[in-house]
Amino acid sequence: MSTEEFRAKALAWLQQNAKPFDENSQGSSATLEESKAFQKGLWEAGLAGITWPTEYGGQGLGTAEQLAFNEVAADFRMPVGPFVIGLGMPAPTLLEFGTEEQKKRYIPPMLRGDEIWSQLFSEPSGGSDVASLQTSAVKVEDGWLINGQKVWTSGAQFSNFGAVLVRTDPTRPKHQGITMFIVDLHHPGVTVRPLVVATGDAPFNEVFFDDVHVPDDAVIGEVNNGWAVAVAMLRYERVTIGTGVRARANPLGYDALVELVRARGLDSDPSARRTLARVYAKESAMRSYSAVLHQEAKAGLPIGARGSAAKLAGAVFPLWVSDLVQEVFAEELALQTPDTLPLTRAILAAPGYATAGGSNEIQRNIIAERVLGLPKDAGVDKNIPFNQLKLSK
Amino acid sequence: MTLIDTDDQRDLASSVARFVAGQAPMSAVRETIRSEASFDPAVWRRLSQEIGVAGLAIPEEYGGAGASWSDLVVAVRALGAGLVPTPLLATSVLAAGTLLALDDKDARREWLPRFAEGTAIGTLAVSEGSRGWASGGSSVSVADGALTGTKTGVLNAAEADVLLVSTADGIFLVEKDAPGLTVTPVEGLDLTQGVATVALENTPGRLLAGDAAAALDTVLDVANLVLAAEQAAATKACLDMTTEYAKIRYSFGQPIGIYQGVKHPLANIYTDWALTDAAVRRASESLAEGAATASLDAAAARHLASSGYVEAAKQTMLLHGGIGFTWEHDAHLYYRNAITGNVLLGGPAFQQDRIAEKLGI
Repeated sequence: MSTEEFRAKALAWLQQNAKPFDENSQGSSATLEESKAFQKGLWEAGLAGITWPTEYGGQGLGTAEQLAFNEVAADFRMPVGPFVIGLGMPAPTLLEFGTEEQKKRYIPPMLRGDEIWSQLFSEPSGGSDVASLQTSAVKVEDGWLINGQKVWTSGAQFSNFGAVLVRTDPTRPKHQGITMFIVDLHHPGVTVRPLVVATGDAPFNEVFFDDVHVPDDAVIGEVNNGWAVAVAMLRYERVTIGTGVRARANPLGYDALVELVRARGLDSDPSARRTLARVYAKESAMRSYSAVLHQEAKAGLPIGARGSAAKLAGAVFPLWVSDLVQEVFAEELALQTPDTLPLTRAILAAPGYATAGGSNEIQRNIIAERVLGLPKDAGVDKNIPFNQLKLSK
Repeated sequence: MTLIDTDDQRDLASSVARFVAGQAPMSAVRETIRSEASFDPAVWRRLSQEIGVAGLAIPEEYGGAGASWSDLVVAVRALGAGLVPTPLLATSVLAAGTLLALDDKDARREWLPRFAEGTAIGTLAVSEGSRGWASGGSSVSVADGALTGTKTGVLNAAEADVLLVSTADGIFLVEKDAPGLTVTPVEGLDLTQGVATVALENTPGRLLAGDAAAALDTVLDVANLVLAAEQAAATKACLDMTTEYAKIRYSFGQPIGIYQGVKHPLANIYTDWALTDAAVRRASESLAEGAATASLDAAAARHLASSGYVEAAKQTMLLHGGIGFTWEHDAHLYYRNAITGNVLLGGPAFQQDRIAEKLGI
């Protein structure tokens, strides 16, 4: 099948099974069951796991097909939210580090929409400094016993499994005593509590582990080598976040703003017009940069840590637009009129992007150190055994 | 749409970069700055004849290489990074672009081959001191084929063999020794770009055939693209220069690049540059393909490149500390060039208005 035929197939399936963006529906209100059914349909149509190997349920196709699908899919509301994390981060990490048994067991049900995954890294004591994590796993006869707490976990309330980063050897320096485990989140020792954020929604959870037993074959990669696995997963995360900009769904994007401006007759106001022009230019450049990175990857050029630049740009953009729209819409924003409500909600949600998946400051460190080659931050705790570190005042 | 360079384009980029390193390094640029000339004619001749830069985007039937604007963009990057003073924007973009956008075959036949071989300099005189490009029409009057009025900010007018002058009646071709033509070089902010005021007093000119307004709009797209490419490259040069300095300059016992007060601004400049570079690549392809969004993409790239370069050049001065504030350091040369490029040929507000207009707002 040529790329064009694949594109036509994808378009035909989406037209049958997904709603186009121009309908005035507010966001995706699909139930979990509808999302699962959609993902299953996507997989049955040969549109899930496009570039992944066929032996693990993928389609075994190339980047050209993936890009064709992305382009076509941008025009539709796809209720795949519950699967974004699992397919974007744990799945490619399993493909890279997992055993044959793990890949065969876990990847096909994810693609089919039967099983949902979460990623559990951050802890209350540290998000940017993930390697200072304190959730521990102690070796027992037939596996490991996990105790501790994770936070900012998306989708844990409906997930089957989690990729959990845990300290397995506190006598080693902090990066060297960490292991990544596959944990069954339905285990009786796992407690999931919703975490209410600034918008009033609860898009994340706190997850508590109380004597949660996992078998030895739940380790992803090797024991005490979990940091390398985590770094790989974070790299996938940055690509997922930085390149996943869905312009039409974003109330802080050009398409949504120009509609609001026109509806108020502000499209003849020079200041509003210039604001829209600046938003368009930046947003369009973010799309072009994603395309450049995709094309370079396809041409075999190393992307390295440049995904962090895409991630940083994507996190700065909504905060920047949040400032600009206050001049354009003025009082209306404070009153949360029905059609500016999505905008004010997006403004309140914007600071979240600056921490989710690594704060802006961490991204700037990564860009400076790994792209520009500047010297690394001192890292005074790097070579000290974890159990001798000072962890708080 | 291909947004990464082809093998041929990579070869072209490295041969221009080699030329700049060997024939027009910063020491030579400084020498040109100290001289009366606004560029080194020998450098321009060699660039034109040995590498073919001047005629890259001029069609073969007029003595050029018949390549696309996107190939010229590749060459411009290497020149922009080194702040090499050349009449490329004036001659190969503004003058050649205007002649190509108009319908005057005689003028093309007479001038384009000479532009391509680097033996004639051309320029376009549009601005009349307003904030825009050709906005608000022209106050240059035409009587019996003779022009009277004043044009400002005309690139390389002092060296030009031929000037294309916009008027309300169309675009006129004026030769350098035409009676009543007075070209007064301006001691401008940018030390690497020659700019002059052009006064016309009953100066004879030849009206060029073709739609003047459409031609000016088309040539503005090319100017926006080429200037954006040049500015993005200079931004990267500022970033590279400052990054290297942050690795070797020590304070408090460590290289200053270890401090977040230094590394974070550099990461911001990198990120903005990466987006701008991508926008320039998109505009370059749009123009080469004749896409419907070509004008929009070019103006958007120019807006990002101009504002980003000003910020990068300013940070280059600041992050170098006291050294960056000295005359001997190159930082001020970039800062001068950045501000000039931001405001000439349609300044920031004009470009934002153009984006809005092209978006159909």
